[in-house]
Order: sequence, then C-alpha cells, then structure tokens
Amino acid sequence: MLKDWKLKEVVLMSLFGVVFGIVYLIFIHIGNIWAGLIGPIAYEWMFGIWFIVSIISMYIIRKPGAALLPETLAALIEVLLGNAVGPRLILSGIVQGLGAEAAFAVTRYRHFNLAVLMLAGAGSAVFSFIYGYFISGYAALDPALVAWMFTLRVLSGMIIAGIGGKYIADGLLATGSLRGYAISHSRKGDASA
Amino acid sequence: MNLLLHNMNPSIKFVIVTVSMIVMAFFFNPITPLLFCCGIILFQLLFSRINWKLWTFSMLPFLIAAFGYLWTTLIFAKSSTGNIIWTPFFLEITDQQLDLALSLTFRVLAFSMLSLLFAFTTDPVKFVMSLMQQLKLTPKIAYSVLVGYHFLPFIKDEFLQIKQVHKMRTHNQPTSKWHRSKAAYRMLIPTLAGAVRKAERAAFAMEARGFTGEARQSFFHPIIIKQSDILLSMLFSILLIGSCTIGVTLSR
Amino acid sequence: MSNVTFHFPDRRDPVLENVSFAVRAGERLVISGASGCGKSTLLLLLNRLYPFNCDGTIQGDIWLFGKKTEDFVPGEINQQIATVFQDPDTQFCMPTVEEELAFTLENLNVPSADIETRIASVLELTSLSDFRYTKIHSLSGGLKQRVAVACALVMNPKILLLDEPLAHLDPLTSKKFVQWLDTLQKRVNLTIIAVEHRLASWNRFFTREICLGNSGKVLADRPFIDAKPLVFPAHLSSIRQDEALHVSNLAVTIAGENRLLPMSFSMNSGEVTIIAGPNGSGKTTLLKALVGILNTSGSVKPCLQLGYVPQTPEYMFLTSTIKQELAFSQNASSEELTTLMDRLDLLRIAESNPFSVSHGQKRRVAIGAMLADKRNVLLMDEPTAGQDAASLRELYELIRQRAADGDAFLIVTHDMSFAYAVADSVLLLKNGSLSGKFDSSDIWYKQDLLFSHQLLPPEGDVKDELVVT
Ligand SMILES: Nc1ncnc2c1ncn2[C@@H]1O[C@H](COP(=O)(O)OP(=O)(O)OP(=O)(O)O)[C@@H](O)[C@H]1O
Ligand SMILES: Nc1ncnc2c1ncn2[C@@H]1O[C@H](COP(=O)(O)OP(=O)(O)OP(=O)(O)O)[C@@H](O)[C@H]1O
Ligand SMILES: [Mg+2]
Ligand SMILES: [Mg+2]
Repeated sequence: MLKDWKLKEVVLMSLFGVVFGIVYLIFIHIGNIWAGLIGPIAYEWMFGIWFIVSIISMYIIRKPGAALLPETLAALIEVLLGNAVGPRLILSGIVQGLGAEAAFAVTRYRHFNLAVLMLAGAGSAVFSFIYGYFISGYAALDPALVAWMFTLRVLSGMIIAGIGGKYIADGLLATGSLRGYAISHSRKGDASA
Repeated sequence: MNLLLHNMNPSIKFVIVTVSMIVMAFFFNPITPLLFCCGIILFQLLFSRINWKLWTFSMLPFLIAAFGYLWTTLIFAKSSTGNIIWTPFFLEITDQQLDLALSLTFRVLAFSMLSLLFAFTTDPVKFVMSLMQQLKLTPKIAYSVLVGYHFLPFIKDEFLQIKQVHKMRTHNQPTSKWHRSKAAYRMLIPTLAGAVRKAERAAFAMEARGFTGEARQSFFHPIIIKQSDILLSMLFSILLIGSCTIGVTLSR
Repeated sequence: MSNVTFHFPDRRDPVLENVSFAVRAGERLVISGASGCGKSTLLLLLNRLYPFNCDGTIQGDIWLFGKKTEDFVPGEINQQIATVFQDPDTQFCMPTVEEELAFTLENLNVPSADIETRIASVLELTSLSDFRYTKIHSLSGGLKQRVAVACALVMNPKILLLDEPLAHLDPLTSKKFVQWLDTLQKRVNLTIIAVEHRLASWNRFFTREICLGNSGKVLADRPFIDAKPLVFPAHLSSIRQDEALHVSNLAVTIAGENRLLPMSFSMNSGEVTIIAGPNGSGKTTLLKALVGILNTSGSVKPCLQLGYVPQTPEYMFLTSTIKQELAFSQNASSEELTTLMDRLDLLRIAESNPFSVSHGQKRRVAIGAMLADKRNVLLMDEPTAGQDAASLRELYELIRQRAADGDAFLIVTHDMSFAYAVADSVLLLKNGSLSGKFDSSDIWYKQDLLFSHQLLPPEGDVKDELVVT
C-alpha cells in the first residue's frame, strides 16, 4: 500500500496529524468538561471534528489509505504530545480512519464530491460508534439514549467532517499550495463527476 | 529500580497497555477496574519517578468525565431487575444499576491511569524508534512522524504569530460569534498552507540525505528487549489476571 | 546535461528550455538569474528529486558520472550528490545534531560500528564538535546552515548543491561561511554548484557562472567575473520636523528572560531607519514589540497607526483575492486603491489569491495592504531576503516615494548595500540591547562599530570613498 506513496505525501499526512492533533486535544478538553455536566452525549454533537483529517487528506491525496493513515498519525501524535487519552487513542484513530476509508473504497476511490465526503464522515461515525459501544460500554445504557447518541454522531460526522472538511480543503486549494498533489490535477474531472 | 518503567521497552509497554484496555472492556463489575487502578498506582510508586502533582492535575479532567459517566449511566441505564436501593425523585435505582454505573466509572479512571502511565514514562522519539525496530513499522511512516513531532514547536509558533498579526489587522472589526469562527477559519488556512510547504521541504531534505524508505540494516542506537521488560510484563499480566478473577468472584 | 526541457504539469510554457552544460570535477559553479526563472528547479533536477516528486515532464538527458539519471535507483544518486537547501528551518528531520548525522548514515546502511567514527570526523572537519548534542532548533541561522553542510559532507559526496545559502545570514557570518567553504573545498576537492542572488558577498569564490533567462534558457555560460554590487540612485533626505514615532524605555521579557533590554528612540515623518545587527540580536522581537504583538513595558507613541509586514508575508492574508486584501480596512477610496495597485504592479493579478502569487508579489501585497490601511509608520521585517536585483530596485523606489510623501519606515535588513542606499539613519542592535541610533552619513565609515555588530560596510562605493578619506 505504501509503495506508491511519495515521501512528501506521507510527511504531509504527518504534519496534518500534528495540526489536527492539536485541534483535537483542545476539543478533548472542552468535551471532557461538557461530559462532566451532561454525560457522554456531550461528545456526540462535535464528534465530527475527530474525523475531519481523514476527509481533508483523502480529498487532497486520493490514494487508498489516505483516510486511514492520517487519522492514525494524528492519534499517534496526540499520544506523543504526552497528553490526554494515551494509547487507546491510536486504536480509536484506526477505527475512525477505517470508517472513512470504507466509504471511499465503496466508491472505488473515483469520486470525491460532497456526497461521498459526507458518506465518509458518516462511515467514521458508524465505525467509531460500534467501537465505542464495546469499549465504553454503551450496552449498559438505555437503548433510546443510545439511538439518540448514534443519530447525533452520524449527523455530526456528515456535517462537521464532510462539509467542514471540504470547505477547509477548498480554501487550502485556492491558496495554490497544493499543486503537485492529486487534488490539483483532477480538478476538471471531478467537477463533472 | 525506580526507573524501571521509564526504561521499559516502549513497544512492549504499548502492547501491554493496549491489551489491558481491551481485556477490561469485557468486565462489567466495579471491582476489576478498581483493583486495577490501585495496582497501577502501586506500580508507578515502585518503578517510576513521576511528578505526582502534574499527574493529579492531568487526572482532573478525567475525574470530571468519570463523574458524568456515573450519573448518566445511573439515570439512563437500561431498566433492569434487582433490588431497589434508592429512590430519589421519581427514579428508581437498583443495586445492579449501581454496580454497572460504578464499573463504567472506574473503567474510565483505569483507562486514564493506564494512558497517563504510558505518557509519563515514555520518551516519544524512543517510542517511534522502537515501533520501527520491534513492531516493524516502516521507516517511511516512522520518520515522517518524527518530522511532524519535530516541527511541532514551529507550527505552534507560526500559529501564534498568525493569530497576533490577524488581531493587529482586524482590531476594529466586530467580534460576534460568527466573526470569531470566521477568524478561526482564516487562521487555519495559512497554518495549513505553511504545513504543506514545510512537508514538501522536509521530504526533499530527507530524500537528499539518501532516505529511500527501505527497512534498515543498522541503527546507531538500537533499542533492545531486556530482561526487566519481561519481568515487568509478567507483573502486569499478574495484575490484569488477578483483578479480573478477584472481581468476578467477589461480585457473584 | 544536454538539451533539457522541463515542464510543470499545469503550465503550458516550460520552466527550463534547452539547457545544456557540463560540469567537471572540482569546479565551483554558480547559477544566477531573476527570481522565479527556474534555478531551484534546475538544482532539484540535478539531484533527482524532480521530476519524480512533481509529475513534471522532461525532455533531453541528464548524465551524472557517465550514467543517465533515470538509471539510478531512487536515493542512490543522493548519496553522491548532497544538497543544502535555502531555508535553514525546514531541512532537518531529527532533534539534535548527532541524531541528524546518524540518520543520514543509517540511510546509507553504514554499519553501526563505523557511524560513531564518521560522525566524530565530520564534526571535526566542520569545527562543530561543540554542538554535537545541541538541539538544532536552538541554533542560530548561520550555525544551522553549517550543520546542513556537515550533514551533506558526512555522506562523502562528490558534488555539493547549495540553494541561496546566505539569504538569511548577517553579513559577517556570510563572509565567514564563504571563507570556511573555501578552505573546506580545497581540503576535500568537492564540486560545488550554487544558486545565488547576492554574488557580491562571495568575492572570488566561484570559477564559473551560468545565467538563466526568464524563459528558462541559458543566457550566458562564462568564467566568473567579479560581481559588481548593486548600485542604487542617490536619494534626497525627506525628513520632516514632526515626530512620527516615539519610543521610551521599551523592554520585552518573556518567561523571565530579557529578550529586549529597555531602549528609547524616536523617528520623524519621512524618515527611513534601518535596523541591523547579528542573527538573533532581537530585531524581529523589536518590531513585534512595537506593533504590540508582544507584551512590553515602556511606551510607544503613537500606537495605532503602525503597519507591520512580517518576515513571512503570508501570515497577514485574510481574504481570497489581492483586491479584497488591499481593500480590507476600507480606509482608502477605490481610486486610491487603483493607483496604489498600479504603483505596486499588482493590477494584473488583482483577482488572484494572495497565497498563490510569487514571493516578491506577496511581499508587495502585504506592503500595499498596510499602505491602504493609511498607516503612516511602516515596519518591515527583512523585505530584501531572497529578492533579485530588479525587485530590490523596485522596493527601493517605492520606499523612497512613500517617504517623500511623509511616511516613516523602520526596516530590518541584512543587505548592507540596500541599507546604505535607502537609510536616513541606522539603529544597531546587539544581544537584545540598542547600541544607539546613528546617522547614515557616517556610520558606514566606522568599521569597528560595524564589525562588533557582525556587519560589513557595503561593497563598492563606500570602500572607494574610504580610501579617499
Ligand atoms: N510545483 C510547481 N508547480 C508549478 N509551478 C511551479 C512549481 N514549483 C515552482 N513553480 C514555478 O516555476 C518557476 C520557477 O521556480 P523556481 O523555484 O525554480 O525559481 P527560482 O529561480 O529558484 O526563484 P527564486 O530565486 O525566487 O528562488 C516559478 O515561476 C514558480 O512559480
Ligand atoms: N519563541 C522563542 N522562544 C525562545 N527564544 C526565542 C524565541 N524566538 C526568538 N527567541 C530568541 O530571541 C532572540 C532574538 O530573536 P529575533 O528573532 O528577534 O532575532 P533577529 O534579530 O530577528 O534574528 P535574525 O536576523 O536571525 O532574523 C534570539 O536569541 C532567539 O533565539
Ligand atoms: Mg529558488
Ligand atoms: Mg528576524
């Protein structure tokens, strides 16, 4: 899988991991405080933030693995920062990345329009929810509440990660700093897709 | 002796911590995670030299989160059988519910403690190096992560500068919530553009140093597996198995 | 290299066209040409980072050591051709000097027993032994550049490529760097190929020069002749009587460390003041303190009309077109904006994204935005770094014109010829303290004073006058 990745793409993923690792950490702290007040549902509406790096990276690089790798790296960087949730994050990073990756794989890495990006956001949400169901023991909660949490998380994944991610990547594309990456070459092809 | 945890092979530590977390996820009694927490604190007291003040401070947000878990699981738990032990307002709380709520809460605490144990006793660079040497992470990823980690202070610095220059330019602009999020977006774009530029230059620099991404034959500072690593892993396993069995027997 | 033509994927006209030349072992070649003409691209082709990394298309052949570049395995050629890049901050991947060197050697699959000896000997050769365990990001710009050369040399390369190695170094450090490279080259008989704008700083270092033209063709390939320093037209002082900026007892302390000791000075309207001093002396810190980015003690009057162009102009862009960028403050009328853009030569690209234009243009956008804000005191951080002769002249004209209109300028630069031409007065900084404000008419003759601030008198005209006086 890594064979046809250029080194500069891997490093780019890692630096995105750093930037978003910091962003994530900030939100974990906000989330923890909210969680104390209104319980685990506090995280749900902003869960999409944690999926955003997968979507931005895949939208830019467009190669198999471009959703899984940066999410994992962001988690690894968060751990390296010595802060917060530690090694467990790497696992949840992988799971979230896989969710987004699955959505792109289903569309065969051909289309990267808004609908697919939102689907990927939803994919991350579903995967991470299943994972959370076991690890955090949602099984013990009232099914109605669990259903609510699930809906909120999927919506958040679609809106914050899907739409927000595209908005940020498009802003970055306009700066011209992304020439030399797939997003710049396939601009026209994508518009028709 | 009191540096054992710090000197432990990072990959082994990582595997143990992760395995412990996964195993604990299958136990729904309050005693297992509680015992495990005590064990971790004991380990840290014996085998590490950590800053307990900082440790307490870092645990604080997790305590708050754990408290959130406690009362939401109490209120929103699946209606279950058991003896009613407390009826505040019109809610009924059974002993089973309490057990479950406590077990989830202690689990959050145990996970946090494990994570902090790892974070407080592991040198990030050694961790990545060891991932590459013991767990066969490809050098391409390993060194890219190190570069990212190494650029962290630069990126932070740059972000602060952008923030301040923007503040100077927009000092007479309105500051509603909408404007604030717009300002955050405006700051994120140059930061990311800077990251893209840095990534490209760093990748060029690495390749110019003859980096091909192939697995390496020799390391300047090899990271090895020592006897003490095996000893510590055994201690951890005993703690894990012990707290699981005791927890299950006691809660019968 | 023969008949090489090179395209970037998304551009129609080639960056390099029919470039042919051959370099013999031990030669010292410099590649010169205007900004954006393709010099860096050429270097990256020589070490095989391009075309692989940018999907560009290449016609013609590049032969290295009698073999075509395509025939090398990736990475193989980089073990014989070492490169030092332009930006000192972004060319290291490990935290300390030792680890960086070890990384390079591990890449070459040097057995771990030999790594130690090779690190020690290259540090010895480059006289960097004292810095072996130092964190790279705490080193000054000059030292970083030397560490980069050490990392290049530890591979025992046959060719050394340098991309504008002097751009961010103070004048005396530059001079020492050139001398040091000179001795080094004689000891290990390297082939050196460099890209450089500031040829005058290199004295007679090079033996051959290749000039690239704007369309990517070779204009000239000739033995190196002494570079003439840039000559700017003389200017009339436009200092007015009213005070534009008054600073008293300004000091900066960050995390208990004095980064700027208390200093006081003042400037009049229409005055152009240069700030000069060694790398790391606190010039950037001073500008940031003046615009209020850093917490300070002391007072700055007035504090609102100060405009600031940071060392990296991208930091200040807020909008998605250059036109909006200039109009952002809404302080200037639309006619004023049009004239301003015309004078800054930005009209052609008014609708482009400010992030996507060339480096010189970005800087002019930033300056334009500040001027359109009607800020009449302007602070600029190293506007001269990496600029070619034409942009320097343009910048000079612009500053003098605005000064004649009554604006005051405070400019940080390492380019002494530029400073000599443009300045009315000079502030010298050293170790975070102000040595004083000097009149530009006599400072350039005080050699000792300049040397003690790692500065040199500008090349050319002053020296001639020195002999006379
Ligand atoms: N990846 C790329 N894709 C498309 N165009 C590029 C790319 N990189 C550079 N260019 C363009 O190619 C031209 C040559 O760039 P290059 O960096 O070689 O210039 P240079 O001579 O080194 O300039 P300077 O002196 O400013 O460093 C420039 O106009 C630049 O905008
Ligand atoms: N973020 C920081 N943390 C700690 N020290 C810093 C930081 N930024 C700058 N310094 C130190 O403050 C001093 C002054 O730095 P400053 O950037 O003002 O130098 P300068 O005169 O602009 O140098 P140059 O000519 O290289 O741009 C230097 O010694 C530098 O190492
Ligand atoms: Mg260049
Ligand atoms: Mg500076």
